[in-house]
Amino acid sequence: MNGRKLLLALALLGLACWSATAATGAPATPGVSAQSITIGGTFPFSGPASLYAGIGAGAAAYYAYVNDHGGVNGRKIDYVTLDDGYNPAQTVQLTHQLVEQNHVFAIVGSLGTEPNLATRSYLNEQKVPQVLVSTGASVWGSGYRKYPWTIGWQPNYIAEGFIYGRFIVDKVPQAKIGVLYQNDAYGADYVSGLKSGLGAQQKKIVDQEGYEVTSSDVASQMAKLKASGANTLFVAATPTFAIQAVALAYKLGWRPIIFMNSVSATNTLMGLAAKNSSPDAVNGMISVRYWMDPSASKYAKPGAIELYRSILAKYSPKSNPDDAFNAYGMAEAWTFVDALKRAGKNPTRAGLMTALLHMNTKANPFLLPGMRLFTTPRDHFPLSQAVLVRYQDGSFRPFGHLLNYPRTRG
Amino acid sequence: MRRCGVSRTLRLAAAAAGAAVVILLPSAVSGYRSFQLVYVGIFFIALIGLNVLTGHNGQISLGHGAWVAIGAYTTAIVVTHTGVHALWTIPLAGLVAGVAGYLFGFPALRLEGVYLALATFAVAIALPSLAKRFPGLTGGGTGIGLDQPKAPFGLPLSPTHWLYALTWSIAAVLFAASWLLLHGSFGQTLRAVRDSEVAAASIGIDAAAYKRLAFGLSAFYGGIAGGLMAIAIAYVNPDTFPATLSILLLTGAVVGGLGSIVGPLLGALFVEFVPLYAQDISRDAPSVVYGLILILVMFVAPAGATELVRRAGTLIVHRLALNREPASEQTPSLKEAS
Repeated sequence: MNGRKLLLALALLGLACWSATAATGAPATPGVSAQSITIGGTFPFSGPASLYAGIGAGAAAYYAYVNDHGGVNGRKIDYVTLDDGYNPAQTVQLTHQLVEQNHVFAIVGSLGTEPNLATRSYLNEQKVPQVLVSTGASVWGSGYRKYPWTIGWQPNYIAEGFIYGRFIVDKVPQAKIGVLYQNDAYGADYVSGLKSGLGAQQKKIVDQEGYEVTSSDVASQMAKLKASGANTLFVAATPTFAIQAVALAYKLGWRPIIFMNSVSATNTLMGLAAKNSSPDAVNGMISVRYWMDPSASKYAKPGAIELYRSILAKYSPKSNPDDAFNAYGMAEAWTFVDALKRAGKNPTRAGLMTALLHMNTKANPFLLPGMRLFTTPRDHFPLSQAVLVRYQDGSFRPFGHLLNYPRTRG
Repeated sequence: MRRCGVSRTLRLAAAAAGAAVVILLPSAVSGYRSFQLVYVGIFFIALIGLNVLTGHNGQISLGHGAWVAIGAYTTAIVVTHTGVHALWTIPLAGLVAGVAGYLFGFPALRLEGVYLALATFAVAIALPSLAKRFPGLTGGGTGIGLDQPKAPFGLPLSPTHWLYALTWSIAAVLFAASWLLLHGSFGQTLRAVRDSEVAAASIGIDAAAYKRLAFGLSAFYGGIAGGLMAIAIAYVNPDTFPATLSILLLTGAVVGGLGSIVGPLLGALFVEFVPLYAQDISRDAPSVVYGLILILVMFVAPAGATELVRRAGTLIVHRLALNREPASEQTPSLKEAS
């Protein structure tokens, strides 16, 4: 029949066209032109994790500032950020868009453990750098043999949990620990770090309660933790739930020593927790810090907060300058710009990776004084130091000296 | 009789033209657009299923995303544990979800309207948490990563074009199957049960059995969509199937037009593109833009976009007919004159 022949012809034609498109070669280094370098990132600008939106905004503001000061080797940085709502299905789709439509040079700073896991194999297969991801899962540093185009940035969660464990063994001998954790890879990393830090004293953990990121609150978990008789609370939770946990503990009349994971331990967030309950609920809380908090000028590098505030005011005026995640984004963007400068006049993707694996600098203005960005081809954890901080009357204050994390290797 | 023949030819021509567009589209648009069209194909399949249940059988489901999730997890688990090629797991994904849906049909029979909607919504909410309870099988919150899709048998296709061909071939087959089913006595029975269970029962139809079948069939389609989704995204975790996916799917089904045959296609385009464009229009409040677009669509086309297209079509035909009117009137008068 004629119709069938026609369909067959159409199908063949389609196949031919496809093969033709598939064969067309891409330019030598995608995203790099004489005037600009296009990079991209995905962030939860909406949805349950949207308190992290400041990271994308802070980074974008820093790139705009660098562009106004001549760019990098004469090229302006064009940072395309898209909203994935923390849904990996969206992240994958938008990352395809960034790579295939925006032709980005690299994916920089994308937020979240699961969204980055979802795009990792695609980006590595396409040999697109997936760098300085905004998550502290240990896999970003340990998985480089299989995924050489991926590298993390922040200190990893296992090592942070380890530090709390050690601190408890040394300083809180009477501790009976209750753990609230997010039931996913990120929460599991923290709990395993805490356990290895406690070493032989893991019996100190009297109860562990997990919650789902999709749940609305952690009320029942907090009630169980209180009932377990714990006098120490370790919170491995994202901001919304961490704030709830602190306020709920107070309302239940429970006053444990609280260890708060750094992903939620900013002055703004814990200020919110204090407002929801009482300053007493937050005072004395312990955490770690590695990047500067814009509302704690005493502990930042000289001039850094002024620089941060002026950049944010000029290039992202709608952002709240007290939101420390903006500063996190800037510290991350500074790291990328530094690597890009060292990648040479005509950067390639491989050159960028090489630069990122030869970091050794204390110059990042948005990190705490003394913090070193350090990598080698065999050490893929750029940040592995932190300072213990304690919350008192509105802000986290460092105590003790800079701690070196134990190395987590894959 | 002749009229019927003409409209049949027209329909066939329209179907052929549609098929040609689908086949040629990837070569006309960028690789990324093709990737988006893969998502559209997946939503299309899921919505055909939802349309059988909600459109033709009148059972409201706010839990269709759960069947998609079951299908996706089936594919991901079977591929990682047995190493079989992902392609062969697609029918299994449909079957597992279909059986789950059929079984859910038993308790669901006791519920109607909003109560049924709530019960199905509960499934959509519970399923992601359930997946986390069995980390050995499902990878827990971290999920399961799969290999990037690749054209098998050495076909000269890029991964995206392979996905596109796969998704839309399956979509075409499933669409044809649903067309045949819904145009036959099965579809009539489903609609009879929808319109009046009592009347249907009085002519000897086992309404309960048909409602369960509708649930099973709709879940089967959802499962196939899920299997394809796992292959396309190459990653499955609980966050991939938020409760909002189910809401989005029902929205797509309603916007496309419940009970119509092409409704799912328009619905799928809505589900894929409107949230993305909402983000383009307003970075700060995409959900507000999305809501406004939704209100606008329901205002302009309360019976769904299919109805709107049909109305527009009738309008154009009327216009054409009106333009021809004087000419056709002249002929008889000339005849009279001669």
